[in-house]
Amino acid sequence: MTSALHEPAAAPARRGGPARAGRRSVMARWDARIGLLFALPTFLLFLAFRFGPAIAGVGLSFFDYDISGTLEWEGLANFERMVGDPVFWQALRVTVLYTVLAVPLSLGMSLVMALAVRRRFRGVGFFRSVFFLPVITSLVLAGTVFVWVFSTDGPVSTISQWLGGSGQSWLSSSLLVVPALVLVGVWSRFGYGMLILLAGLQEVPRELEEAALTDGAGPWARFRHIVLPHLKPSLFFLAVIETTASFQVFDLIFVMTQGGPARGSYTLVYMLYDQGFKYVDYGYAAAIGVALFAMTLVVAVIQRRFLGRES
Amino acid sequence: MRLATKSLVAAGAACTVLLAGCSSSSDGGGSAGGGEDGALSGEVTMWIYPIIADEAAHTGFWDAQVAAFTEENPDVDVTVQVYPWAGRDESLTTAIASGTGPDVVYLIPDQLATYQSSIEPVDDYLSAEHVADILPNVADSITVDGQMLGSPLLTSSNPLVCDKAAFDAIGATEYPATWDDLLDLAPDLAEQGIYATNYWGSPEVTLNMTFYPLLWQAGGDVFSEDGTSVAFNSDAGVEALEFLVELNEGGYLEPDLITTTPSIEQTALAQNKVACTWQSGPADVESYWGEENIVIQPPLTQEETVGYGTVGSLSMLKGSENKAAAGAWIDFVTSADPVTEFVTTAKMFSPLSSTGELYADDPVYGAIEQTIPDTTVGPVNEHAREVMGVLAPEIQAALLGQKSAQEALDDAAASADAMLG
Repeated sequence: MTSALHEPAAAPARRGGPARAGRRSVMARWDARIGLLFALPTFLLFLAFRFGPAIAGVGLSFFDYDISGTLEWEGLANFERMVGDPVFWQALRVTVLYTVLAVPLSLGMSLVMALAVRRRFRGVGFFRSVFFLPVITSLVLAGTVFVWVFSTDGPVSTISQWLGGSGQSWLSSSLLVVPALVLVGVWSRFGYGMLILLAGLQEVPRELEEAALTDGAGPWARFRHIVLPHLKPSLFFLAVIETTASFQVFDLIFVMTQGGPARGSYTLVYMLYDQGFKYVDYGYAAAIGVALFAMTLVVAVIQRRFLGRES
Repeated sequence: MRLATKSLVAAGAACTVLLAGCSSSSDGGGSAGGGEDGALSGEVTMWIYPIIADEAAHTGFWDAQVAAFTEENPDVDVTVQVYPWAGRDESLTTAIASGTGPDVVYLIPDQLATYQSSIEPVDDYLSAEHVADILPNVADSITVDGQMLGSPLLTSSNPLVCDKAAFDAIGATEYPATWDDLLDLAPDLAEQGIYATNYWGSPEVTLNMTFYPLLWQAGGDVFSEDGTSVAFNSDAGVEALEFLVELNEGGYLEPDLITTTPSIEQTALAQNKVACTWQSGPADVESYWGEENIVIQPPLTQEETVGYGTVGSLSMLKGSENKAAAGAWIDFVTSADPVTEFVTTAKMFSPLSSTGELYADDPVYGAIEQTIPDTTVGPVNEHAREVMGVLAPEIQAALLGQKSAQEALDDAAASADAMLG
């Protein structure tokens, strides 16, 4: 049916012979050039403000830079200092711990919420909007409120006391501070993941699910063998995005704990900020940035290998 | 890949602006700013921060000063830009590196050390009478390597500020003068649900206002005399930290402040549950305690009576292209009359001897004015902030019981000395 409908349009092209095909080729090349022209400003802006500074940052990691303008070649000294700096390893541990906790929790939460609001029911639009609300809420404002939520007088400590706990503020505990930050981080991001997965769920063929249902497949079997395989590209995308965001976590920590207690929530990006902007040690800060880049690249490649191969 | 790019942008941007900074001609030259007939000319830009909380009063003050200066120097165009306190170092370092910094900027002593390489000494731009008028201890605090890196605009003092209502609640009529006094009062205050004091333990809070006053009161100091190593892990330092730990273990400190920095409305201070503090001033607590309940006491005493007080000064940056005009503006606006008007509006104190006592009739600020001789600006050392960065988390560790006071200070000292090289 489809080919029959297209046939009349295709026929004149064939009748035009090589001359018509040549003109079409010229037009295609012309269109491509116009397209490139339109993309050029964005490409140049990207080069100037994203790619350029990134390359410059790598270069800076080999120098000692004073804001008065002095630039001294340091070779690998900044990297040697970093490797011997216990604060770097502490920050790396915190960053990895945050990522290991936040990424699966965020993906799981996003998936559960996406499945919950997948079907059309009365008020589904309201619930989707409410679940997305944290994404567009200022993290600084939310962080300020969550400082109280986790404080000694806050609801979390009060509930903990009811359950027989000590009632200690989570933000004062080296053990609980990262989980507290993870919970707030996941709260602020799951709406975005939900939206991506909701779009992915629209691609799951309804007839497959219906056929499975007819064959007697239960909800778990339908989810595992039909829904999940179709969501793999979306999940891979989210895994990379969430890992990236977790490695870069800063604003939440800046507002809620400032890296404390006793560096219990001190991440690599927080260390980079301290070295660059508080201690004006740009070379060392750049070296930390390069290490973070390398780490992210390795993790992204691993994720691609295990999650995104078929995507 | 998006992460990778973003991760490097901060440092990369710094490099980019650095290159711009290197290539620009930042030397204004000694003759710049002088007109053909010797009159001053050119543009002068100054960055200042909301020292006077009332925005209209603040801008009104600077508008009036600019008008008065321009009347004497019609060819000089002065622009005063009021920036927020938040992120001021980030803004300034970026601007200096990119060669777009102001001609004049407001700095405090620990910043002077940090930005020393970018600051033009002001000795040659102030009149001899002006220099002679600066209080000797103030002049010392802004002098690095024998050069004055700024002209003082104000001084401040952080004495002990007590809530009379808290003391009424336990029937006490004497306010604490020593560490022991505070410890003696603490149990009675705790029975009434009042903390004896508070301690802002976050690494983002300067130790000049929190731990260092205790260190100085115990007779210790942050750096060795030559500034090449740290000295805070001395017996005095351990005594100071053990005093804090004792207060915390007794439940006499607000626990959440040790690890977080909530807004003041969320703290016990705003709920009239802190008896005394050396980390907030009358302006911070007045709306919660009521002016009638504010009692000013000298800084606490252990071996010595000493508290933190800062000196705010106007510094000229080396990148200024109108040094003569900028110097004249600094000399003008930090002279006695403008300083008197500024500090009385801002509820600060004068760095000049000729202005005399400014708050003789004010019981609160008059009392604070009397404590100025007991204050110090803290260490003026280019590594002062990095040292705070390694010390503050160790103090937190001691307060949370993860380390003893000695272990915490020794660990911080080891990290700090490694930085000092």
